[in-house]
Amino acid sequence: MFVLYRSLKYFVLLVWSAFVALPFLWALTTSFKTANGVVSGATYIPWLQYEPSLEGWKVLFRGEGKGIDIITPYLNSLTVTLSASFISLLLGTLAAYGLSRFSWRAGPIRNADITFFFISQRIMPPIVLSIPFFLMLRMLGLLDSRAGLVLVYIALLMPIVVWVMVDFFNNIPRELDETAMLDGCGPLETFWRVILPNCKPGLVVAGLFCIVFGWNDFFFAFILTFTETQLLPVAIVSLNSSVTPWWSLSASSLIAVVPLVILAFVIEKYLSSGNLAGAIK
Amino acid sequence: MARIELKDVGHCYGPAGGRLEDYALQPFSHVWEDGGAYALLGPSGCGKTTFLNIISGLVHPTRGRVLFDGRDVTALATAQRNIAQVFQFPVIYKTKTVHDNLAFPLRCRNVEETEIRRRVQEVAALLNLESSLKKPARQLTADAKQLISLGRGLVREDVAAILLDEPLTVIDPQQKWLLRRKLKEINTALKQTMVYVTHDQNEAMTFADHVAVMDQGKVMQIGTPQELFECPQHTFVGWFIGSPAMNILPCTVAEGGVMIKDKKVPLPALAKAAATAAGALELGIRPEFVQISDTPGAGALGVDIREIENLGNYNIVMLDLDGLEIKAKISVGNPLPDRKAFIRLPEKSTHIYASGQRLNPGT
Repeated sequence: MFVLYRSLKYFVLLVWSAFVALPFLWALTTSFKTANGVVSGATYIPWLQYEPSLEGWKVLFRGEGKGIDIITPYLNSLTVTLSASFISLLLGTLAAYGLSRFSWRAGPIRNADITFFFISQRIMPPIVLSIPFFLMLRMLGLLDSRAGLVLVYIALLMPIVVWVMVDFFNNIPRELDETAMLDGCGPLETFWRVILPNCKPGLVVAGLFCIVFGWNDFFFAFILTFTETQLLPVAIVSLNSSVTPWWSLSASSLIAVVPLVILAFVIEKYLSSGNLAGAIK
Repeated sequence: MARIELKDVGHCYGPAGGRLEDYALQPFSHVWEDGGAYALLGPSGCGKTTFLNIISGLVHPTRGRVLFDGRDVTALATAQRNIAQVFQFPVIYKTKTVHDNLAFPLRCRNVEETEIRRRVQEVAALLNLESSLKKPARQLTADAKQLISLGRGLVREDVAAILLDEPLTVIDPQQKWLLRRKLKEINTALKQTMVYVTHDQNEAMTFADHVAVMDQGKVMQIGTPQELFECPQHTFVGWFIGSPAMNILPCTVAEGGVMIKDKKVPLPALAKAAATAAGALELGIRPEFVQISDTPGAGALGVDIREIENLGNYNIVMLDLDGLEIKAKISVGNPLPDRKAFIRLPEKSTHIYASGQRLNPGT
């Protein structure tokens, strides 16, 4: 019985791994192919079935005077994503703590309404935001700049952070805050020294949402930047031409996915040890 | 350590200036002397926790002032009051070790690290936590966690008071007894002012030198356990304290005595005290003081014995006086009449109440 259960388990895992890993392998082989290698039917084994070439990769680093320079958009994407995520986490967590612990009131508007206001920002389709964002950034002179994108992403990411963290803080007993105050902490010290260390799982989830969204966003990056500043997803799409360059698209997607894979490994211990219980509801 | 003075302190959770009946804590004044062991006793929802939170500053009272050693702290934030509070459920800093939990209040006050280590060692020794100092606090049992909460108060030598809000609720019965003794020991040894909130009269009576009995936001009586037992100032105190509760019998006043169900009991002093009182009169006597015999005599009331409950070393005897139930607590050795009996109510142990308030026979 045990053997059967074990084999079944490994079989399921194997199928699932293949499901997850094969697209990557597909992209990997494609990235080393030339036009001929791609269009002449499915081939898998280098040197035997097709002649590997570095053509697809060279294009990404302006090899032989043509193609694009992927490093600048890459760094742009890293900077924008990390700064927007960091600021959203910081402000969003503080806002969530305030909404969870203190009573706010403006006429009929109470805490729950403010929390819903934050979340409602993500209910409307992003397309309706594109024109206001464009106009606002133009007014501020921040079109086609990293700072402008950071601002836009903060507006988009903070609701997610507030949403995750309000719930998380609500599940932390108030007595913990009270104890910290009794032990001599002021309100901000209570937050930094006592409450925040207890929130690591929530922060990990919120941070993960932020980074994945920021890194993957194409829509706003495409609308709000032109020539000066380019983010990675836009740079990758710009590789496309009338003849789809599958090889360089594959290579660039592989590079693009690297930070998220590293992130997955870093937070794996949180994801696997059940630390996230109660973090997402 | 401090002398805590409450001057006309009251609290209302609704808008200020509401009716007095809406107050969660009715305004009152009292002084907790430095180094004393006090208890707040009352049923759930009677305002005990509000009371504690006013002292610790977690709640700012709607009216009145709080003074520590004569200094007005009413407007001060919790962090500046230097109070320690142990809650009903153990609150620990889960991410820290036991040592760091105990050191936290000192670190918040920027005490030197060597001094911190010395204080933590001392307190850990006092609480028998030495062996687990390096462990993560979340791994400890519930009672050890409560000791940590207490320890966070004890590490501060100058703590104004230690407030205990039903600290033994989640502790096993056997541990409860040990922990309660430990608390008492610490109070005697360190002379810290301690206020213990509970709904369990045994806990209150064994821990405290003075007990405040509360009901529906009102402090009914403050006194030593003996005073509360022998001389309840309010029928609520008589009913809430003692097991079984005090017998409370509706009565009227007659010449030289008190009438219970048309039977006259010769209690001249009580009758005199009640002669001019307004409101419904009631007679109160603790089951311990009811005397039973099988012979009639002057002032004796004839009753039927309904039921005898044997509780090991004493019997609870349920008596029936024309439909009124009276309980008596009699040592097992004492012989009991068969079915008919006669009871006497000794005047010095009997009290008379008008609208629940005790009437003093001396005046």
